[in-house]
Amino acid sequence: MTRDVGVEESPEVWETRRARAALARIVEPGDERAGRWLEELGPVAVWRAVREGGQPLAGASAHRWAGMRLRAERTDPDRDLAAIARLGGRFVCPGDGEWPRQLDDLGASRPIGLWVRGPCSLRLVALRSVALVGARACTDYGAHVAAELGGALAERGWTVVSGAAYGVDGAAHRGALAVGGATVAVLACGVDVDYPAGHGELLRRIAADGLLVAELPPGAHPARSRFVQRNRVIAALTRGTVVVEAARRSGSLITARHAERLGRHLMAVPGPVTSGLSAGAHRLIREHATLVSDASEIVELTGAMGEVAEEPARPVVPRDLLAREAAQVLDALPAVGARDAEELARGACSSPEAVTARLHELSSLGFVERVGDRWQLCR
Amino acid sequence: MSFARTCAVALVGVEGVVVEVQADLEPGVASFSLVGLADKSLSESRDRVRAAVINSGAEWPQKKLTVGLSPAAVPKCGSGFDLAVACSVLAAAERIDPRSIAELMMVGELGLDGRVRPVRGVLPAVLTAAGAGYRHVVVPEEAAAEASLVPDVSVLGVRSLRQLIALLADETVPEEPADERRGGDDGEDGVPGLLGAGWGVPQSAGLFQAPHAEARHAPDLTEVAGQRLARRALEVAAAGRHHLLLQGAPGAGKTMLAERLPGLLPPLTQREALEVTAVHSVGGALPAGRPLIDRAPYCAPHHSASMAALVGGGSGLPRPGAVSLAHHGVLFIDEAPEMSRQVLDALRQPLECGHVVVARAAGTVRMPARVLLVLAANPCPCGRHGSAGGECECLPSTVRRYRARLSGPLLDRVDLRVPVEPVARAELVSGTVGEATAVVAQRVLAARDRAVARYAGTPWTSNGEVPGHELRFRFAPVPSALARAEQDLERGLLTARGLDRVLRVAWTVADLAGHDRPTADDVDAALELRTGVRRGAGVLGSLP
Repeated sequence: MTRDVGVEESPEVWETRRARAALARIVEPGDERAGRWLEELGPVAVWRAVREGGQPLAGASAHRWAGMRLRAERTDPDRDLAAIARLGGRFVCPGDGEWPRQLDDLGASRPIGLWVRGPCSLRLVALRSVALVGARACTDYGAHVAAELGGALAERGWTVVSGAAYGVDGAAHRGALAVGGATVAVLACGVDVDYPAGHGELLRRIAADGLLVAELPPGAHPARSRFVQRNRVIAALTRGTVVVEAARRSGSLITARHAERLGRHLMAVPGPVTSGLSAGAHRLIREHATLVSDASEIVELTGAMGEVAEEPARPVVPRDLLAREAAQVLDALPAVGARDAEELARGACSSPEAVTARLHELSSLGFVERVGDRWQLCR
Repeated sequence: MSFARTCAVALVGVEGVVVEVQADLEPGVASFSLVGLADKSLSESRDRVRAAVINSGAEWPQKKLTVGLSPAAVPKCGSGFDLAVACSVLAAAERIDPRSIAELMMVGELGLDGRVRPVRGVLPAVLTAAGAGYRHVVVPEEAAAEASLVPDVSVLGVRSLRQLIALLADETVPEEPADERRGGDDGEDGVPGLLGAGWGVPQSAGLFQAPHAEARHAPDLTEVAGQRLARRALEVAAAGRHHLLLQGAPGAGKTMLAERLPGLLPPLTQREALEVTAVHSVGGALPAGRPLIDRAPYCAPHHSASMAALVGGGSGLPRPGAVSLAHHGVLFIDEAPEMSRQVLDALRQPLECGHVVVARAAGTVRMPARVLLVLAANPCPCGRHGSAGGECECLPSTVRRYRARLSGPLLDRVDLRVPVEPVARAELVSGTVGEATAVVAQRVLAARDRAVARYAGTPWTSNGEVPGHELRFRFAPVPSALARAEQDLERGLLTARGLDRVLRVAWTVADLAGHDRPTADDVDAALELRTGVRRGAGVLGSLP
């Protein structure tokens, strides 16, 4: 599922891409005002306006405009585009074949563009994708569940999307990679920056087998606000978000809020009620999220009609299905030994004729058998 | 010109080297030199011996006196050679017959008044002498009980040099009053028996809990409220010699649980008891009343302990550290993440090989250190991470870094990881009492016997020693039992080595339950104990 590299682009498309690449470095992720400018004026015009100076665009304060102009001075879109190409990646814009349409649900705050690195097509893997998010300081239980869900979802052909953070995110990615499935990591920094530092190897694996996605250009470093904005991309990209383990004030609850607002499925995995680390997940379940305990339940919610979760294996006892009178007659039969219809009628508090009719029914169902003119339970 | 010799023992670590003490008198200006790589405390011997001899009523020879300790290349230290030096001098001066001391081994320090005082390491010294063929030893009276533990050796305990001289010269033995200061008082905590201030022993009170303390009040499992999972983990740890990590908030009871583990271990065999007693003798921690330690020792160093205190060392020749004092017993490290990384990593060698090698300029020493390790850790620096309702103020990165202080390679050798929750109010007040130590210890013993029987004819005696591929083929569990563990392996939640460890724990669980081979439930219990995540019926479901 690789994108064709080297396909010739028309000059307008190329200019738009350049402009968007430039603005991606100037505008912070999630800036709605800038998004509106882009909608009204188009990226090329906005880029020219920022580069050349003059009057601030609608809604920008003088300081903000000055800040943007400062950044514009240092911005070289060709350099950034060359950098991503050197990494073997590309810059995906709205309008591209690879642009996932579901991101447009974010409206004016949708990403200006996405820097992508990896062999898969973003749009295709995002079609059947689920976000697995949770606490960074998770317990063994949380990591275990995240890895289990990641692996099971990947085995069913679903893409696992997460933030490559420590804890639940990392476990989910690893679970998917372990079964050879597709996984997408949405980062709050450039796709060539190892953050967190301890996940360098994991990020390389994802870049080799899955996709690394970032709103920020190569070389950009993470900041607190960028994590919050990154979470909205995770929520928007996927069909549903599963919160695996979250404390009351966890960052993954932000992703959950975004998912809710965007109308995506919101699910949460419960934990021990004695653990404060699942308190956030429990609150989600109380409010709007659906409780899920394994991958098939997740897929049942997020999948198309027909992808129903398997009924958990439950022993089907035929007695449950019997009509009341027949059940009463069955109860009247002793465990050992045979009785005739009159005794059974006494036991079942009914007439012998009715009892006989029931006995015949039960016999055809295989519960009782006739021995002479008496009846006994089948062994 | 006269010459006499006798024998003493120099301690290297917890083993001894036979040292021949030779005294040579030459006519000349009166002098006294001591040769043979003696250290400072040993060279002070000259003054002690001289004063002791004079105060014992004997004459000090006014000639050129040379006392040699050979082999000269072995570094010698301590005051235990005093008695041998004094006797060899007296024999060279012909106060006593040189032949009477030639086949004796002597150990003891001399006070200036001629009293013979006990020293550390009498048991290993006598063991060494017995091994070298000496059949008669002379020791201080207080150490006579310790020395008599060695078979086939006749022990003479003396109170003073005067008595010894009289005995050797076949004269009437004078009466010496017993030392009232040391008479029968071992009621203090922590450092009973041979230890006391002023005997050159570091104040290690609190480092070590003397095993005989259990005669006063042995910790019992019935005192622990609730904690069923942790109790099962203790049982499994004792039955299979698996190392244990207890994780929980402060006050949850981790220390209490660790203290009760030694009681579950089977009594030491004769050979093990001698080994342990020897180490304790060198460490100066033998209780007075019962010299032989026959129950598993318990050692709980503080987390600020230095490398030398934990592993052994110190200036001069290395002395046994906590890990050797806990040989064949339990080493408990509370607040393990607070311990220095280096010091914790130093535990890897004893955990792997069962001994610790300490190298110093003075020499390299190998000391036994086959311990059962128990680590206790809080979940985070403030201790409240993960508790319901408790607000943990630590950042996730702080928590992560705190957890990472227990390094991967060390934790990899810890088979059992158990969360210890604070006991619920209902359990504290309910009055239901758990099983007693004696009951659980019975099960542990039965499980160990099963293991020994199973491994009869192989070089192993416990589940922990069996290598991985043998476990998977020769001692394989029931065919479908490993399904869940293998699934974890596929998902990357368990490494291949982790799977082997899970199998070992599963065998211990099976031994405790009396199964011939581990069933799926046993493997699930082992997975839960190793990873902390409950599977299926869990540990509590599978054990009796």
